[in-house]
Amino acid sequence: MTSHSEHILAVSGLRKTYKLGRVPVPVLHGVDMAVKKREWVAILGASGSGKSTLLHLCGGLDRPDRVKGDQPKPKIVFEGRDIAAMGKRDLDRYRSRNVGFVFQFYHLLPELTVIENVTVGAMIRHGRFGYMAHRGESEKRAKALLESFGLGHRLRHRPAELSGGERQRVAIARALINDPDLLLADEPTGNLDRTTGGAILDAIAEHRARTGLTILMVTHDERIAERADRVVRLADGRVIEGSLPAEIGPSDPEIEVGTMPTPDAPGR
Amino acid sequence: MYQALLTRRYLTSKLMPLLAMAAVLLSVATILITWSVMGGFLNALLSSGRTLIGDAFIAWPNVGFAYYEELAEDLEAHPRIEAAAPVIETYGMVRLPDDRVELIQVTGVEVASYSAVTGFGDTLWWKPLDKPTRKDKDRRDPRLDPNNRPVLTEFVENGLAMTRPDPDTGVPLPAGILGVEVTGLNYRTSGGIYIPINGQRALPSGGIESLDLFMPRNGSVGLTLLSLDSTGKPTDPVSRVLPIANEFQSGIYEVDSKTLIAPLDLIQRMLRMEEARRVASEGADDPWGYETDPQTGELRPAVPKATAADPARVTTVLIRGVPGTTPDEVAAIADSIYEQFAARHAGEVPDAFSIQISTWEDRNRTMIAAVKKETALVLVIFGIICFTTVFLVLAIFWSMISEKTRDIGILRALGASTPGVAWLWLRYGAAIGVVGAVLGLVAGWLIVTNINAIHDWLGEVLGPWLSGVLSTISGWFGGDPILINLVIWDPRVYYFVEIPRKVEPGKAAIVFVAGVLTCVLGALIPAVRSARMDPVKSLRFE
Ligand SMILES: Nc1ncnc2c1ncn2[C@@H]1O[C@H](COP(=O)(O)OP(=O)(O)O)[C@@H](O)[C@H]1O
Ligand SMILES: [Mg+2]
Repeated sequence: MTSHSEHILAVSGLRKTYKLGRVPVPVLHGVDMAVKKREWVAILGASGSGKSTLLHLCGGLDRPDRVKGDQPKPKIVFEGRDIAAMGKRDLDRYRSRNVGFVFQFYHLLPELTVIENVTVGAMIRHGRFGYMAHRGESEKRAKALLESFGLGHRLRHRPAELSGGERQRVAIARALINDPDLLLADEPTGNLDRTTGGAILDAIAEHRARTGLTILMVTHDERIAERADRVVRLADGRVIEGSLPAEIGPSDPEIEVGTMPTPDAPGR
Repeated sequence: MYQALLTRRYLTSKLMPLLAMAAVLLSVATILITWSVMGGFLNALLSSGRTLIGDAFIAWPNVGFAYYEELAEDLEAHPRIEAAAPVIETYGMVRLPDDRVELIQVTGVEVASYSAVTGFGDTLWWKPLDKPTRKDKDRRDPRLDPNNRPVLTEFVENGLAMTRPDPDTGVPLPAGILGVEVTGLNYRTSGGIYIPINGQRALPSGGIESLDLFMPRNGSVGLTLLSLDSTGKPTDPVSRVLPIANEFQSGIYEVDSKTLIAPLDLIQRMLRMEEARRVASEGADDPWGYETDPQTGELRPAVPKATAADPARVTTVLIRGVPGTTPDEVAAIADSIYEQFAARHAGEVPDAFSIQISTWEDRNRTMIAAVKKETALVLVIFGIICFTTVFLVLAIFWSMISEKTRDIGILRALGASTPGVAWLWLRYGAAIGVVGAVLGLVAGWLIVTNINAIHDWLGEVLGPWLSGVLSTISGWFGGDPILINLVIWDPRVYYFVEIPRKVEPGKAAIVFVAGVLTCVLGALIPAVRSARMDPVKSLRFE
């Protein structure tokens, strides 16, 4: 199982059903997928195909459906630990230390300055007293990150005073403050024009080249997906294409691997 | 850590929670003011008790008990007792200069011991003053007039000696001191001072005679008491004219309108409680009895002889403890001292079990309990009103958390735990509570310490101004003038000249904690809700 350990993240049998009132809305119908260390994987799929849902599950923000009876349990294995089976506290730790989130709509805290928006991640990680000891170090790192994203001169600004591209850079710096192993990016350029979006991707790529960060990126845009090492296609809650690691394999034998839907087709 | 940072930022950037803060401020200030004023009122009541009778008393009403001087000495020998004063407390009738007859409480005192136990000397009203009293803004107090100084000084001397010189012979006669409200010849102004007025006496012809008198100068009352027979039963009325040396004001209307203080020996004589010889004749049962005259050696009808002396009696011994001793402690000491005293005089004085030993507070239990109840009631009512602050905070935090769901989602995505998020809101609530309560305490304290000035301003400036404005407006519509009187505490009606008040640190601390708890309580439900929120939902959209 040596090939296994080179996967930083491997998911199998992921199902997710939302409830709209009493009506169950199945979104993921058994997703299997793996990401290797230092890899940049893009999940490509139409809007509503369940990409964000998948990303949230991988990031421990949400939990997959529980299975009944003897069906195989859903697994989200991160470096050998199944986060689908983790308790709340471990999940909080996982989100704080192992992964970093970037969202389409930046999601900065409007009352905090740029630098505070970045260090808040470190505050959460180190807790009330721990942060006292790590304060200097965290602020230094936040500054370095923001400088590397060209925001060194805007540390004391509020998010409202920044452009969309700048805000997204702050969000990326925030995601990276605790030096995570995996960056989870949900349409990071979805709200930006092509040039700005390109620059954001350049910045991410540059950072990856320096640090060997693993990236799992969600997009509905084929051209953006091209920036990744590998593309996993998602349609109607199933992986329809993407180099699945041999040892995991599709959990649902009905899935025809290799069918190519048009990426922009409406979901479901 | 992030909670502290966000709390600080929310405090300075959010407007809504400032409303919650204002609500806490008002509640805290209201409760503190109410409590301080009601507490001050009770305090004034209790301390006037101390002025009147000291800390505690030993009483055997009506008939009185003997050897009181010995008892007073025993009491004063105790290190925690400062002074003891034997007095007689009884009821009598006074005929006032305008011929009204009133039932009156008569207290017979020895000035020296009575002053040592009570604040009697300070309660004398007619005395020279250098500074006007607080509310006497236009210096109408006749006691301020330098021309009156010599005569006022004389009144004080008379009052402290309880004598007044006979106008013809100059011989000092025993004199009494009346409560300042008894005669009705002193007009109490809104400034809380007294202006002597001319009395009027109705004549049988239907006319009115004007009385030109001022009690401490030339006023007298007719005092009637019921003297006691040898078994202590009231029997014959005894009357005499008692000149008035001065008048006193204790601050409690009930006392000032119904009390006469008179020299103890005089009252003892009138009641026949002074030292008396008990007489008996040999064979007194036999009206035909004979005895030998020791001088002539002849037989003669039996002559009564003094067989024993009945010691003088008083009804009450007033006791004052050294500073720092509570009335209850003084009463306890009096209890144990009286026990020894009664053992020594078994059969001559009331036994320790029957004697009454208590405090001013005990004696006026109903009145004081009523004030305490009122205080509690007012506080409960205000407490309920202030409890709405909890709901205000709840509503504000609820809406604030709905507005901030995305921030909560972000924090959760960054690894914040659910208790951590709940703590953010509780902390924020507590911060609002602390700031609001501190400001409330400051506001309450400022208002309480300046309450009399504020009250004066309401009555003297705002009231007339409002009346003027409203009357003008009503004038436009042909209505009557509208008068608004904002004088709530009129010394003519209430007894204490000023609104009594007392900010106690203990009460302030309780109010402060309650204010903070109010906010935390209000923030609790929204905090729990925020922690339960699904982080994913809020992050999905902008
Ligand atoms: N909380 C929810 N309740 C019901 N349906 C939901 C909920 N969240 C997402 N969905 C549905 O799940 C589907 C997948 O959503 P999502 O993962 O956001 O897709 P994508 O990111 O690919 O656009 C969509 O049809 C969406 O409407
Ligand atoms: Mg999405």
